[in-house]
Amino acid sequence: MTIYLMCFLLLVMGLYCLVAKKHLIKKIIGLVILDYAINLFIVLIGYRPSGTRPGGLPPILFPDMNPAQFSREAVDPLPQALVLTSIVIGLGVLFMLVSLAIRIYEKYKTLDTSEISKLKG
Amino acid sequence: MIGMTLIVKKVTQFIIGLIFVFGINIVLFGHLTPGGGFAGGVILACGFILIMLAFGKDIALGKVRKPIAHIMDSSGALMFLALAMLGYIGGTFFFNFLPQGKQFYLRSAGFIPLANIAIGIKVSSSLFVAFVVLVLFGKQVSKTMDDSDEE
Repeated sequence: MTIYLMCFLLLVMGLYCLVAKKHLIKKIIGLVILDYAINLFIVLIGYRPSGTRPGGLPPILFPDMNPAQFSREAVDPLPQALVLTSIVIGLGVLFMLVSLAIRIYEKYKTLDTSEISKLKG
Repeated sequence: MIGMTLIVKKVTQFIIGLIFVFGINIVLFGHLTPGGGFAGGVILACGFILIMLAFGKDIALGKVRKPIAHIMDSSGALMFLALAMLGYIGGTFFFNFLPQGKQFYLRSAGFIPLANIAIGIKVSSSLFVAFVVLVLFGKQVSKTMDDSDEE
C-alpha cells in the first residue's frame, strides 16, 4: 500500500511543477515526471506475490519449468510490454516540446510565461 | 574545437562497436529475452547520438547521410506492413504464417523475429533523424540570434 502512495506522491510533484512554475523548461520537466509516474503505476498493478520467491517470480520461462504453474505464479508480463512502448512515446513528446520551446525563445526572446502571456502579436 | 576532448573520442572509438552489437542482440533475441524491437531500437539510436556528441555534427552526418536515414526509416515501416499483409496466406490479417519451430531456439515463434527487426530499424533511424533536426534547428536559431544582437 505504501508503494502506491509513493507513486501518487510522484504524480502530485509532477503536477505541481507543471502548474505552479513560471519558467517554461521547469514546466517541461514537470510533465516528464508526471509521465514517468503514470508508467510506474501501470507496471505496479501487474505484480503478483509469489510463495516460492520473496520478490515475485519474473515472467521468463526456463526449459525446466512447468508452463501451467508458471502462468499462475509469475508476475503479469502484459503491463510491462505495453509500458515499454509508452516510455518511447514519452520521449517523442519531449522532442516536440523542446523544439517548441526553442521556437518560442527565438520569437519572444524570453522563456517566462507571465511575460509571454502579456505580449500580443 | 570540434566535438569533445581526446579522452572522450578515444573511449568512443573503443566502445561504439560493442554498443551496436549489444543493441542488435537485444533486437534479434526479442522473443526469448526481455527487450524486443522498441528497446533495441532506442539503444542503437543512442549509439548514433554518441557519435554525433563526441565527434561533431559533420563527421556523424558523413557516416549516415540524411537521405539514407530517411530511406531506412520508411523501409522499416513498409517491411512491418508487408509482414502483416502476408498474413493473408494463413487466413486473416496479421496471422502468424511461418512454422512455429522448436521452443527456446532462435528460429522459432513464426515471424516475430522479423517483426522485431523491422521495428528496430524504424525506431533507431526515427530517433536519429529527430535528433539531427533538433541540432540543425538550434544552429539556425543561434545564428539568427547573433545577427539580431549585432544590429
